[in-house]
Amino acid sequence: MIHSLFLVNASGDIFLEKHWKSVVSRSVCDYFFEAQERATEPENVPPVIPTPHHYLISVLRHRIYFVAVIQSEVPPLFVIEFLHRVVDTFQDYFGVCTEAAIKDNVVVVYELLEEMLDNGFPLATESNILKELIKPPTILRTMVNTITGSTNVGEQLPTGQLSVVPWRRTGVKYTNNEAYFDVVEEIDAIIDKSGSTITAEIQGVIDACVKLTGMPDLTLSFMNPRLLDDVSFHPCVRFKRWEAERILSFIPPDGNFRLLSYHVSSQNLVAIPVYVKHNISFREGSSQGRFDLTLGPKQTMGKAVEAVLVSSQLPRGVLNANLNASQGTYTFDPVTKMLTWDVGKINPQKLPSLKGTMSLQAGASKPDENPTINIQFKTQQMAISGLKVNRLDMYGEKYKPFKGIKYMTKAGKFQVRT
Amino acid sequence: MPYLGSEDAVRELRRALSNPNVQSDQLRYRNTVLKAIRAMSQGVDVSDLFSEMVKACATVDIVQKKLVYVFLCSYATLNPELSLLVINTLRKDCQDPNPMVRSLALRNMTNLRLPSLVEYVEQPLAAGLRDRAACVRRVAVLGWAKLHNLQPDAEIDAAVVNELYGLLRDPDPVVMVNCLRALEEILKKEGGVAINKPITHHLLNRLKESDVWGQCEVLRILQRYHPQSEDELFDILSLLDASLVSPHPPVMAATLGLFLGLCSGLPAVSLAALERVRGPLLAACGSTSRETRFTALCHIQLLLRSLPGLMGAHYKRFFCGYAEPAYIKQRKMQVLVELVNDENVAMLLDELKGYCTDVNPETAQAAISAIGRIGRSYSDRCLEILTGLLGLKQEHITSAVVQTMCDLVWVCPQCSDTVCSALEGCEEMLQDSQGRQALLWLLAAYGERVSSAPYTLEGFIDRVRSEASLGVKMELLTTTMRLFLCRPSETQDMLGRLLHYCIEEEMDMCVRDQALLYYRLLHCGIEETHKVLHGQRSDPSLGVLIGRPAEPINQWAYSFNTLEPLRQAGFHQVGWGASVHSHFQISPEMFNRVQVRALAGPLKDIHRVVPKPLLCYLGCVLRFVQSALEHVFIQDVSVHCCIHLSLNPD
Repeated sequence: MIHSLFLVNASGDIFLEKHWKSVVSRSVCDYFFEAQERATEPENVPPVIPTPHHYLISVLRHRIYFVAVIQSEVPPLFVIEFLHRVVDTFQDYFGVCTEAAIKDNVVVVYELLEEMLDNGFPLATESNILKELIKPPTILRTMVNTITGSTNVGEQLPTGQLSVVPWRRTGVKYTNNEAYFDVVEEIDAIIDKSGSTITAEIQGVIDACVKLTGMPDLTLSFMNPRLLDDVSFHPCVRFKRWEAERILSFIPPDGNFRLLSYHVSSQNLVAIPVYVKHNISFREGSSQGRFDLTLGPKQTMGKAVEAVLVSSQLPRGVLNANLNASQGTYTFDPVTKMLTWDVGKINPQKLPSLKGTMSLQAGASKPDENPTINIQFKTQQMAISGLKVNRLDMYGEKYKPFKGIKYMTKAGKFQVRT
Repeated sequence: MPYLGSEDAVRELRRALSNPNVQSDQLRYRNTVLKAIRAMSQGVDVSDLFSEMVKACATVDIVQKKLVYVFLCSYATLNPELSLLVINTLRKDCQDPNPMVRSLALRNMTNLRLPSLVEYVEQPLAAGLRDRAACVRRVAVLGWAKLHNLQPDAEIDAAVVNELYGLLRDPDPVVMVNCLRALEEILKKEGGVAINKPITHHLLNRLKESDVWGQCEVLRILQRYHPQSEDELFDILSLLDASLVSPHPPVMAATLGLFLGLCSGLPAVSLAALERVRGPLLAACGSTSRETRFTALCHIQLLLRSLPGLMGAHYKRFFCGYAEPAYIKQRKMQVLVELVNDENVAMLLDELKGYCTDVNPETAQAAISAIGRIGRSYSDRCLEILTGLLGLKQEHITSAVVQTMCDLVWVCPQCSDTVCSALEGCEEMLQDSQGRQALLWLLAAYGERVSSAPYTLEGFIDRVRSEASLGVKMELLTTTMRLFLCRPSETQDMLGRLLHYCIEEEMDMCVRDQALLYYRLLHCGIEETHKVLHGQRSDPSLGVLIGRPAEPINQWAYSFNTLEPLRQAGFHQVGWGASVHSHFQISPEMFNRVQVRALAGPLKDIHRVVPKPLLCYLGCVLRFVQSALEHVFIQDVSVHCCIHLSLNPD
């Protein structure tokens, strides 16, 4: 299925290759480099490139292209999903998935790839099982290994593979029993000139960190489960009970895992936590343009909007921007024409604003497009969809665990057109 | 890859690996091996170290073993004799009490890919099939497939095949799926693994146990099964229903593929299945992975061919975000065009108008041609936008607008007035050959209504010497001829100049031939010329050109969940591959791609139309058209002009 994998960086160098069947020459990537050269932006390289004898299917994550070489017809979604899984695993192991991290841990990378795929077919992709086969490198372990000469390979066969609950190993023991759940929602929206919402949807996840002794059986219930549209569960969740009672019942894996991800789409009304008042205008014949931007909170259920970062790609004709920020700092890169304004926290009493003038190339005609404003922000202790966890119960074990829950809302692809 | 000082590095490594002091210190030994692997991963040729590495393989240190195996598997094919030495160590490891070591040894033994080693590998592999530990069985099963790939012509061992069929009932789901994969490869010549009723039901019942990848595999292989009765079919369908709305896009796609395959005789059920996957597909379109979004969009395009109304209410989901990659934006626009209706047309056009000024010229052009497509049903609104865009005075936008207008006018002649008035003053903005060709074609068709047409042509003719594009020259000849027929006094002089240049100085055969043809035609008298050049036009308002009827699902079901729908395609390919085989539908775009814009003329009396198209391409087109639709419309056609195929078509 997947013949070979090449890792290519943004400047077009292959820095790692792995072959599962016969060795495919590096020259197959020339077709990819051609496409890379043709694309103006790194993300414009098409994900599927046909070549005379192979297909190249690639995903771009963290400025690295993961290029899979395929020799026969395959379901494309399968390969794409698998490549993303590889990246997720690397990230899980090394904290970041950069070229440097991969080069530093090249041995672990090879071990992982060897375990994840055999003869081109996926073998072990569940992070819990992989972690027992190959222990992730930590600073402490690297040090201990160098001193004692021990290894990062598990000596034992992963117990999970033999137990009835394949995602959890047996005989887990903790002195402090705790279970934490993070509800994180990202809001993707496009707001038009007049401030009305064109599209808005929420991508949410519940990440869990469960450190419980033995074989606990958990049930988690929501106040308003009907909100969730497209839900995707960790394999541990009993789907039947969700369908019947809208309750999450599961034996959790040990440690960190993603319990579910969901999607609240425009069918339900999506609240927008910030609003933008803007006036960006250029006059015909004048070499000056006006820039005026004010941000304010809205529909935040009284929670503060933090870590606000505004960025906007100004038209090509703009030479410089002379602005005045009431709060935070702004930078304008005259080469890329990128304006960034690091606002920080929005104070509802004194709304942050950025005002001033832009100077244009003398004699140039008025730019025909108006810039789009991208906004990033964060709100703690609130899930914008209104999702609320009702209660968490544990069965199967006697002790009393500590349970915690946290909500957070972030901006995903949040843009305002002007 | 040339690597500075790589020879020195290899020499250094060899010295270290064969140093007894290093060998006795486990940690140093392993680190040296590690260095060799690092060098390998950077593209340095370290194959010379093979014999040292073989020695390093005999160790108790698992990590070192793994590292050496990585090395050996990459270079074994270069050193078959030395690899023989490794086999002994590997065979010993296959007896190890630790199942992990056993599976590791077995896997690498099969990964060496040396036909000469097969005889040594078979015995441990056979033992591996009966191993206690599931992880060894998993490896052993796939090992047989690898062995078969090494010697594809060798006879298939029936005992092994039987054992693999038996292992389909293994308690471990991965072993089961691996058996399917292995049998599929081993029995490729016989059409893959045999799927009968008991196996099908067994696989379906255990579908839930395997992981996502395994489910996809099973679902794909089950496509080959044909249920014996309708009851059985519906039993299978109801078992599959849950996976149809699976949150994992690969599983969902594989299930739908199987559904469509099974229900090929029941269109109503297939349609219901499509309705059911709408939610998951839309969710995949909003996935955080761009590649998944792209693939989902391509598949939605497929679905829309049969169910145009499927996504009607969700058109906003296909609006483009600012930072999305160009390939997604272009696909989204293609979907948007399909979703247009009376209620959302204003909103959609507004949105598309915004994309026309995209930084990426290809995206901008895609947006403009999307507006043109919508213009076939809502011409007034679209023309207003298109003429507005001309005001921007951007080269690539103007070119795309003129090409779009050219296509639009052909289908909707009622637009011609607006187009004619918009054309004035565009020619300075047109730089690329396609744009200029389109402008010339428009001038030829509506020359009498564009007052400045002769002046524009004069500009072209003055520059003809420096003109590089063959297409523009051919178009220019035809346009000048046609304009001469309706406005002789203004164009006679320039036509003379152009013909003179083309016949006396032009180096390209096609242009010369065409010019000579026109010259001789003019000798026959104006009446005759008129008859030839102004042949009757076909009726462009043929229903098929505008509204495509919904296709039956079977026409595309075979390509669902394959790479087919992802191929680079413009509008022209949508609904094209399939339609050649069935009733042929002529779409004007089809001819655009082969540069014969005006073959749009009446094909039934082709000899009378000196095709305003470019003769150099006509030859190819005729051949192409003939092969596909002989029985449709090229009957009793004799072409009365001599065609010189271009020697160097561009």
